Amino acid sequence: MNWFDKFCNDFTLNFIEGDRWKWILEGLGNTIIITIFALIIGVLLGIIIAAVRSTYDKNGADMKKRGGPAYVFLKIGNTLCNLYLTVVRGTPSVVQLLIMYFIILVNVTNGVFVAIIAFGLNSAAYVAEIFRGGIMSIDEGQFEAGRSLGFNYLQTMFHIILPQAIKVILPSLFNEFITLIKETAVAGYVGVMDLTKAGDKIRGRTFSAFMPLIAVALIYLGIVVLLTQLLKQLEKRLRKSER
Amino acid sequence: MEEALIKVRNLKKHYNGGKVKALDGIDIDIHQGEVVVVVGPSGSGKSTFLRSLNLLEQPTEGEIIFDGEDINAKDADINKHRQKMGMVFQHFNLFPHKTVLGNITLAPIQLKKIPKPEAEAQAMKLLNMVHLEDKATNYPSQLSGGQKQRIAIARALAMEPTVMLFDEPTSALDPEMVGEVLDIMKDLAKSGMTMVVVTHEMGFAKEVGTRVIFIDHGQIKEENTPKEFFNNPKDPRLQDFLSKVLI
Ligand SMILES: Nc1ncnc2c1ncn2[C@@H]1O[C@H](COP(=O)(O)OP(=O)(O)O)[C@@H](O)[C@H]1O
Ligand SMILES: [Mg+2]
Repeated sequence: MNWFDKFCNDFTLNFIEGDRWKWILEGLGNTIIITIFALIIGVLLGIIIAAVRSTYDKNGADMKKRGGPAYVFLKIGNTLCNLYLTVVRGTPSVVQLLIMYFIILVNVTNGVFVAIIAFGLNSAAYVAEIFRGGIMSIDEGQFEAGRSLGFNYLQTMFHIILPQAIKVILPSLFNEFITLIKETAVAGYVGVMDLTKAGDKIRGRTFSAFMPLIAVALIYLGIVVLLTQLLKQLEKRLRKSER
Repeated sequence: MEEALIKVRNLKKHYNGGKVKALDGIDIDIHQGEVVVVVGPSGSGKSTFLRSLNLLEQPTEGEIIFDGEDINAKDADINKHRQKMGMVFQHFNLFPHKTVLGNITLAPIQLKKIPKPEAEAQAMKLLNMVHLEDKATNYPSQLSGGQKQRIAIARALAMEPTVMLFDEPTSALDPEMVGEVLDIMKDLAKSGMTMVVVTHEMGFAKEVGTRVIFIDHGQIKEENTPKEFFNNPKDPRLQDFLSKVLI
């Protein structure tokens, strides 16, 4: 048998027989669903965390002076956010996923849902730092110029700081998306058939490792390369709009 | 004499739990139409003083009465007061994502709710005043330092402040651009604007200032008319300072 026939046989065995290509498709679908929804949770929660931390850093002194419960809430919120960031960034995401599945959401049987929550909460920590980093990258003088004109803290943020910070934030956010796709490859730990798990399942059935695992790797690679190209386009466009 | 526009009482700003006394008990009255020039060695507290006037720096202690109201009081609406106090920074701090026109009209449109066409018409008048009408649609990065600072002055004036604060407005400029900015400030002084100006430009202090104050170690060590201040300085530290800057 020459190598080409062997390749065709292997291919048929792994993907065609028993419609096993459908597993790959299903796995890819789950990977994409988990990534996208986790990112949405991550962005929403991340913005809230970044808002609390940035407000505490930049406006805390003002609020402290004016007194009242707002400052107390802000201070408690800031402490909680810091604790959250420390825990999430200080533990492996697989462990977080397992804790979510076997302890916190033990009554939820839908693994995809659990993975979305776990990866979303994980991603929020990184997205929060992306937003905060973007805000902090803007020169303090911009903030002072806004405040000196009479803009309050929030108005300064929305009219002056965020329109500039978004150019720093967007590429990093896109990068987080790319990272997250690869991170979700451990979803199989909680019984989710994601892309990685699909490849592994085929390997278990056919006892042929090369074809399914390389195929899975190539699919990840293809997606990441494609998204990286998009990211480069985005960066180019942002640079152009920079004055 | 009529009531002072700004009254500063026992103003203190301490850092590191009192180890650094950036301001150590400042008292001064600033009247309508005055041009108060603030000079002093580097690190003496000039910026801290100026930035305390609109609370960009939160004082450790003291009162700032502006237009009859203590703006450092707990319940004072500082944002409202800041609209009446224009500020010009050493490094311009123009908004890079906005055109010149956008820079000038942002605050009037957002804060005073002035309709855009009206705000732009007013901005064009201000641009005419700083001789930069032709730059209306440019972005800050397309301007020279002197042009940027003139736009920054126009931006502050757009809120129709009752006092203008300048923190070393020409210190970041190439020497050949200092004059164009000082000229605008002179025009502004002539128009009757109340101004507090931190600067090393002694020529400006002599020519335009109605009063010059010398700050050293966070205290006002001397204040006088420009003539007396420069011709007959009494404080030894001021004599030393002037001998260094007036070569
Ligand atoms: N954030 C800060 N923390 C500690 N010290 C400060 C801070 N800001 C200013 N200072 C100190 O306060 C003093 C006055 O500073 P500043 O008002 O900037 O002086 P000037 O404008 O006259 O050069 C300096 O000794 C400076 O080091
Ligand atoms: Mg200074």
